[in-house]
Amino acid sequence: MDFVGKNTRSKKIGRIFLIGFMIIVAIGQLFPLIWLFDFSLAKSGDLFASDLLIIPDPPQWVNYVTAFVDGKVLKYLFNSIIVNVITVVATVMISLLVAFACTRMKWKLSKMTMGILLLGMMIPIHATLLPNFILYSKMNLTDSIFALLIPYIAFALPQGIFIMSSFLEGIPKALEEAAVMDGCGIYRIIFQIIFPMMKPAMITISIMTFLNSWNEFTMAMTYLESDKYRTLPFSVLNFAGQYASNYAVQFAVMVLTALPALVVFILLNEQITKGITVGAVKG
Amino acid sequence: MHKLFSNKWIILSLIAPAIILFAFAILVPIIMSGYYGMTEYAGMGEPIFTGMKNYKRLFFNDPTFWKSLRNALLLGLGFVFIQHPICMIFAILVDKVSGKWEKFFRAAYFIPNVISVAVIASMWVYIFNYDFGLINNVLKWIGLENLQAEWLNPDHALGSVLFVLIWHGFGWGMLIYYAGVKGIDQELYEAAAIDGATGLRTYQYITLPLMKPVIRVNVTLAIISALKQMETVYLLTNGGPGDTTQFLANYLYLKAFRSYEYGYGNAISVIFVIVCILATVILNKIFKSTEEY
Amino acid sequence: MRKMKRVVGLFLMFTLILSITACGSKTEQKADKEADVQSEETTQETNTEDGAGTEPVTIKLFTNLPDRTTGQGFLEQQIIDKYMQENPNVTIEIEALQDEAYKTKFTAYTSSNNLPDVLSVWGQPAFIDPVINSGYLAELNEADYADYNFIPGSLAGFSKNGKIYGLPRNTDIQVVFYNKKLFADNGISVPTTMQELYDVADKFNALGIAPCSIDGKDKWPLAIMYTDFIMKLTGDNTLLPNSIGAKDLSDPNFKKAADAMNELISKDFFQKSFTASDYGASRNLFAQGKAAMFYMGSWEMSMATDEAIPEEVRNNIGAFNLPSPDGAKSKTTDLSAWNGGGYAVAEKSPVKEEAIKFLNYIYKPENWAKGAWQNGICIPAQSYEEYLTGNETEVQQTLTNLLSQATNISGTPINDCGTPTFKTTSEDLSQQFATGMIDSETFVSKLNEALQ
Repeated sequence: MDFVGKNTRSKKIGRIFLIGFMIIVAIGQLFPLIWLFDFSLAKSGDLFASDLLIIPDPPQWVNYVTAFVDGKVLKYLFNSIIVNVITVVATVMISLLVAFACTRMKWKLSKMTMGILLLGMMIPIHATLLPNFILYSKMNLTDSIFALLIPYIAFALPQGIFIMSSFLEGIPKALEEAAVMDGCGIYRIIFQIIFPMMKPAMITISIMTFLNSWNEFTMAMTYLESDKYRTLPFSVLNFAGQYASNYAVQFAVMVLTALPALVVFILLNEQITKGITVGAVKG
Repeated sequence: MHKLFSNKWIILSLIAPAIILFAFAILVPIIMSGYYGMTEYAGMGEPIFTGMKNYKRLFFNDPTFWKSLRNALLLGLGFVFIQHPICMIFAILVDKVSGKWEKFFRAAYFIPNVISVAVIASMWVYIFNYDFGLINNVLKWIGLENLQAEWLNPDHALGSVLFVLIWHGFGWGMLIYYAGVKGIDQELYEAAAIDGATGLRTYQYITLPLMKPVIRVNVTLAIISALKQMETVYLLTNGGPGDTTQFLANYLYLKAFRSYEYGYGNAISVIFVIVCILATVILNKIFKSTEEY
Repeated sequence: MRKMKRVVGLFLMFTLILSITACGSKTEQKADKEADVQSEETTQETNTEDGAGTEPVTIKLFTNLPDRTTGQGFLEQQIIDKYMQENPNVTIEIEALQDEAYKTKFTAYTSSNNLPDVLSVWGQPAFIDPVINSGYLAELNEADYADYNFIPGSLAGFSKNGKIYGLPRNTDIQVVFYNKKLFADNGISVPTTMQELYDVADKFNALGIAPCSIDGKDKWPLAIMYTDFIMKLTGDNTLLPNSIGAKDLSDPNFKKAADAMNELISKDFFQKSFTASDYGASRNLFAQGKAAMFYMGSWEMSMATDEAIPEEVRNNIGAFNLPSPDGAKSKTTDLSAWNGGGYAVAEKSPVKEEAIKFLNYIYKPENWAKGAWQNGICIPAQSYEEYLTGNETEVQQTLTNLLSQATNISGTPINDCGTPTFKTTSEDLSQQFATGMIDSETFVSKLNEALQ
């Protein structure tokens, strides 16, 4: 009796210390968000000057109104959502198809194709800015939604394919063989059998792709011209002067930009557990 | 079955979208980049073909290039030997905590990666500030005033930048290792417990070996990502003071778009790709040789 | 089966979205193209007509002033709106990006040979020479500007071989802004000699206040300071351009100027880790009263009317000219000044005539010059005497006096005098020199190397 009591007590204390330590680390990680929010309520002249955190007095909630209105947040948000959703869905789908083709299908060039596509991960984006711009100019694609979709998906694919194929390796071929016995075609195998088992991979890829393109600015500003398809990262620009800028409102804009990403992330966060446990139970 | 799995048309249909996108947005630009790498081109007017002149200059006459390459590789090592072990430990800890806390920590630790890099960089420049920054203030508070320093001056800048970059990648690294840890069957742990394995030994003999594939993936991604670092460096120090914190991708950008030495910048990007490929090949060899069990 | 349906449904939705947006952009593009074609035909017909045309014209303006609610961006937008009102057939499409992004996009445009109609340019060799030489800018008719009162010399940076390719927006003077309250409260008076400036620095350091704030991260302010020292040391504004032209910096004054600059910096003149301080940070350091001075261009006179700055600083801003080093040959009224930003028209613009007409409108003295001065935005490059209201802020008055009493003007700062490559190298070197990473001799010799 005594023995058991001692054990659980020390276990409990150990757990408290563990959680305490992890909370301290968590505060460190959450700090940037706190800092951002804090200064988004200040006046532009308060930033970057003295204290690490200030208590804005009075809090400039008007910054958010200005950000929303002058920053054209609604319009850019709409564009961001469309571009990002299409990018994520397309990336996940195409990655799955390619990963399946290269790891499961039998053909001579499978390894080489995979290799070339993975090479995409090693390409610095800035090296492709001008050539892509010239290409899009010639094909009149600049200032269209494709100017964003094509590079975003193309750059997200290597990572996606990489992750998909790693996860695919963990799925036994027996299932496919059984399906073929039942008379399934390749597409049915992919979508009815493989697809449901790839949830963790798809979620990981979705998170990575989404976050990479949600905050992406360089390519967007190079390939777009007018306001039509501009995404959220451009909002910040509306408050940038030639030299100095309205920093506090820019911070408010960045909070507004981060919010949807946070929401998406937290939602997907739930799904990770579900996906993983489903996989674990089955396997 | 074999016929089905080697049907040429189906294979083509599976890879077509990817190949088209890739060719259009990546392959063609890189080939153009290779061409420009052999020219002198300011981004305006006409490119003048100069053959290997840019590469000669890069290899023999450009100390900044070597410095930026060295810094990028240092960062890669920092990622692999400092960041990854920490990520792994935390992945295991988060898994161990379980319940509501697990979900909370998983989300909280990732938050910095959801916010735009511009915010993160501004914040750190601020934290490093000599007079008002967090670090010096904390040092003062705990009585270690003499350790205060100008964290972004030539002596300390590189360390500070490396620190921020390593810290920033923590969220992603942890997430990937966490997925790996979660993928290990509970039954294996139970079996090990029955056999008398406890605490650290479980990790040493079960967790780590089973994570090898995940580790391999992560390490490769880390080295490539270290070479690709651009935005954060640009926002933190822009390679300065001088070129003490110059990193390869940032240097490329500066040459191509600031100095109007577009041809030269492209030569750098060609070398960049070659270095990445070399790194991948070397890493593959290293990992193959450790897979002997 | 259910899952299959879901997947197919997703795909259909995906394709649907894609095709709608594709169609949308295609038809919009077609409409744009038709409008362009139409306007091309129109401009060829309405040739030199000065009155408002009747065919719809679209002019693309590419500007580096994204903020349209304050400062120069605001003024620009006002003038644009006015023009569109007076010329209902003209639509002006604006693409605005800030500095760094602007330059990157600019390169993208030139590389695809597809510049917007009216664009922001900098009238300094480092930026504009390659652009003019590659024939991207349209030649402007000098006679058009006879009544525009451009300050003599301001058009020099925008011209080549006697032909004008652009027009300057402002006259920039490099000054030391100072916090009058901090000076007065501590019994410190405005320095008129370099030795006095050293004393001021010592006094503020003793008080724990950074004497002077500078944007060290962007490097160019440091290059401007070096140019300032060259000017103040020699009193000769031909030394620098001639040496750059001859690619020879062996004149001993270059090293002397560097030494003088080094001496000032070594008095802890700047804030700590000034190379980590970017434009906003350095400006706010001063605006928060944490630095007694701010070394920056005259466009910052708008600080006096910026409500985001605390009142006690905002109402107490003064400016003085950087004193000359001891033993200098210059007068206290010699200034470091130049003409930087401006506009130009693209040579290949399909609406060139209309674009030039629009450009000329912006620069009508009652538009840009008057607006810039009376709103306390910046000093225009055109004469603004007739727009003095008597209600100017003190800073404005000081700057006007400095300019009107100037005996010598330095012209383009060193980093902008040469090729673009020289610009980045000289800026890097300026930063390395200012932080003490290289000494003055190495600094000058490396600059010389970079020129070859």
